[in-house]
This record gives sequence, C-alpha cells and structure tokens, in this order.
Amino acid sequence: MNAASATATKEGAGADPNLGARIQALVERTIQRNIKGLEYIATPAPVMGTTPKDLIYSRGTLNLYHYRPLADEIYRVPLLLVMATTNKGYIFDLAPGQSLVEYLLKQGYDVYVIDWNPPRADEKNLTLETYVLDFIPECVRRVQEDSGEEDVTVVGYCMGGVLSVMYAALHNDGPIKNLACFTTPIDYRHMTMFQRWSDRRYFEVDRLVDTLGNIPPELIFTSFEMLRPATRIAGQVQLWENMWNDDFVKSYRMFDRWSTDTLPLAGEYFRQTTKELMWENSLYHGTLALNGRRVDMGNIKVPLFHAVAQHDHIVPYDAAKPLVASVGSEDKKEIVLKGGHVSVVAGPNAVKRLWPALDQWLGERSV
Amino acid sequence: MAEQQSTPDPVAAFRELVTQWEKGLNEFASKAMNSDEFARVMNKATTTTTTMQQQLGELIGRYLSSLNLPTRTEMVNIGERLQAIETSLHRITAQLDKLGASTSGGAPAGPPRTKRPPSAEQGGSA
Repeated sequence: MNAASATATKEGAGADPNLGARIQALVERTIQRNIKGLEYIATPAPVMGTTPKDLIYSRGTLNLYHYRPLADEIYRVPLLLVMATTNKGYIFDLAPGQSLVEYLLKQGYDVYVIDWNPPRADEKNLTLETYVLDFIPECVRRVQEDSGEEDVTVVGYCMGGVLSVMYAALHNDGPIKNLACFTTPIDYRHMTMFQRWSDRRYFEVDRLVDTLGNIPPELIFTSFEMLRPATRIAGQVQLWENMWNDDFVKSYRMFDRWSTDTLPLAGEYFRQTTKELMWENSLYHGTLALNGRRVDMGNIKVPLFHAVAQHDHIVPYDAAKPLVASVGSEDKKEIVLKGGHVSVVAGPNAVKRLWPALDQWLGERSV
Repeated sequence: MAEQQSTPDPVAAFRELVTQWEKGLNEFASKAMNSDEFARVMNKATTTTTTMQQQLGELIGRYLSSLNLPTRTEMVNIGERLQAIETSLHRITAQLDKLGASTSGGAPAGPPRTKRPPSAEQGGSA
C-alpha cells in the first residue's frame, strides 16, 4: 500500500472501512491505465478472422470461403452465411472463443461464408439482380459442388438477410433447406432516421451515384455514426476508464476496427436499394421485381428463423418484425434477444443468447 | 453498511455522468436530425461536397494527363481486363478441381455427414 492510500484509509476509517482499498484500487488502475494506454497506442489492433479457411471462389467483390471442419462428425446440410454488403465478414469470426463460425464448426456444421471485397470502380453497375440472381445462386451451386450435398441452409445478416430473403423468394424450388436471418429489415417505413435522410424531396441519389460511381465507405460509416452521434465519444471515455482491463480493451478494439471497416457500395445497387426499398418499400409491399420476376415473400416455404435485437438502433424491431408474418413457411420462428444490432450476433452476449438458440434450431433441421 | 453506501464513488459518478450525457445528446441529436430542415441541409451539403470532389478529380485528371501519366479510366480499363483474366483463371481452376474430383472417386473429402442433433441422440438412446 502506498503512502497516499494509507493516509486516506486512516482519515476515512470512521466513514468507510473499505475506503483505503478502494483508493488503492483507483491509484493502481490509474497507473495501469497509463501503462496500458501507451501499449494501446504502440500496438496494432488484434488480428481477426483467424479460423482456418479456404477461398473457394472469388469474383470481384465476391469471396466465398469454406471453413475447415473442427468436428469429427458433421451435419449433412452445409451452412452458407451471407454477410451484409456494408461491412466485412469477420464479425462472424472475431477471435477464438468469440467467433460464431468457430462455434458452429465445433457444434458440427460445415460452414461457408460469402464475404465482400470493396466493389471496384468497374463494378459500379452491380445491381440487386447481380447479388440475388447471380452471386448467391453461384455460391449455392459451389457449396453444393464442394460439399456433395443437394441441400443448403442460407443464413443472412442484416442486408445479407435481405438478399437471402429475396433469393429464397425467387428460388422456392431450389436447393435451400432452411433460411435463418439476423436483424433483417423488411418494412423500411420504420427505418425512421434513414427514411428522413433519404427523403426523395432532398436526397439526390441519381446525382450522387452519377457523380461518384460507387458510394464511398465514409458516407456509409457517417450515416451509421449519425444514428447515435455521442456513442463514439462515450465509448472512448469508457475505453479510457477500462484501459486497465485487457479483455475490455481487446473487445473494444475488435468491435471498433470492424465498425470502422465499412465497405463502399456499388453505385447502381445503392441507387436501387434507395429507390426500391427506402422510397417504394417494395419488398414489404410485394411489388419488387428483379429481372421481371416479382419477389413475393409468401413463396418462401422453407423453415425460417429470424433473430432480432431488442435495442437495435440500425434496424428497429418494427422494421424487422414483418419477415416472419410475410413468409409462407409453416415452420417459422422469431426470437427477440437483448442487445443491439452487432452485439446480438457477436460478443459475449451473443455467445450466451443467439448462438445456442441458432444451434438448437439448425441442428434439428440439418440432418 | 449505510455508511459505506453514503461514501461517494467518484468513478461510478463519472460513469453515470458519461452515460447520462451520451443518452441526452443522442436523444437531442435524434430529435434535431429527424426534421425536414436537417434532411434538406444535410443533403445539400452532401451534394455540394461530392460535386466539389468531382471537379477536383477532373482537375487532377487534366494535370496527370499533362504529365503523360495514365488516366483513371485507363487504369479502370486495365482493372477490367485483369478481372476478366481472374474470372477465366477461376473457371479453369474450377474445371481442374472438378476433373481431379472425378478421377479420385468424386466423393468430397472431410468428416462424415452423419451427425444427429443432441435431442435426436437423447431420444434414440432413451
């Protein structure tokens, strides 16, 4: 015990017998904060996405990975995870013990992931049709070929869920065995802030796309940040306060790196999602057509699982809620979990909540 | 016990202060940004910025051209040609993989796909 804390203990003995210990802890943490703070600045961010995998198909913005099995015996039906087009797929594979992919592999699933590279300048003409009628079907075909199985379960996160829903609606005679979605927006009226910012009276999407080609990641990142403008600063204060705590710092760095690692969006795809989904709400109304084929969610008959987050500020519950009601499946389930848009999928809470629920639901439907 | 609780904890107080500040500012900002006026001003600013960026890009393009350096369009064209080569390579690799699989018996390698869910195993053993 140092002199300062000893004096404090003596003086405060009448008021609080633990005061000395608390002051000592405070002083120690302050010292640790300074030491670890220097370490934080001097060391690179933790490496993520380390679960062994093989790139089995790549085409421009599209990457299809196959993760090497970690179980001696696996379920018959492989899983194809479809990442959101706005962020990198390592949110599914943050670190050992905090990786959805690793968890699924250990539970005996054969896991494939569609991850996205930043679309190149020459990919500005990619459209919803490219993603739904070309990229996903091509990946499903390659998963079938690689695994030797006809059936494939598709799992989509956020916009990856939207694309998976569209794919499932247009391929109801196809190889999809189950559909699982996380925080997937369907009714865009309830994306209140995005609705306001993309108000067709003011938002010149044509001019933006025609000028820029692809939409830069800074614009996407800023729009997410603006939903909760104080949270980043509060997070940094929280980081400083917890700088002595290695686990907290590691977790913070992983999530911070992932959230800032935003991808650009293909220009035509952005134009189409703004006009069709934000302005016309055409997926919800059943009026969306891709290559002349109407996307009717009622055509989805396969078992459906939808996990939504109670405190999701990006996809509010009301925006995600209609999915289960809209599909034609008899076997369907929605679970509302504590957490936000990201913490529901990755991090300590996801380990306890979403992952076991997903495993239980999938296991019975993967044989 | 009551004495302990009455002792102020500066760290807890600071944490609470930050939480309240974050909540308050987020609520205030959400209200302020959820207005027609904000949407109009924000989109005007975005359009102005992107137009300026475009004009700056064109200016730099002209400068590069005067230095006899490749333009962005030319680089994009090279990128497209590289992409076409990449696609062909993947197609060839896929064909070779398929050929290899058919000559080696065709069955994909890996653990057996015989796993049953724990509920089924429990049911089976009961």
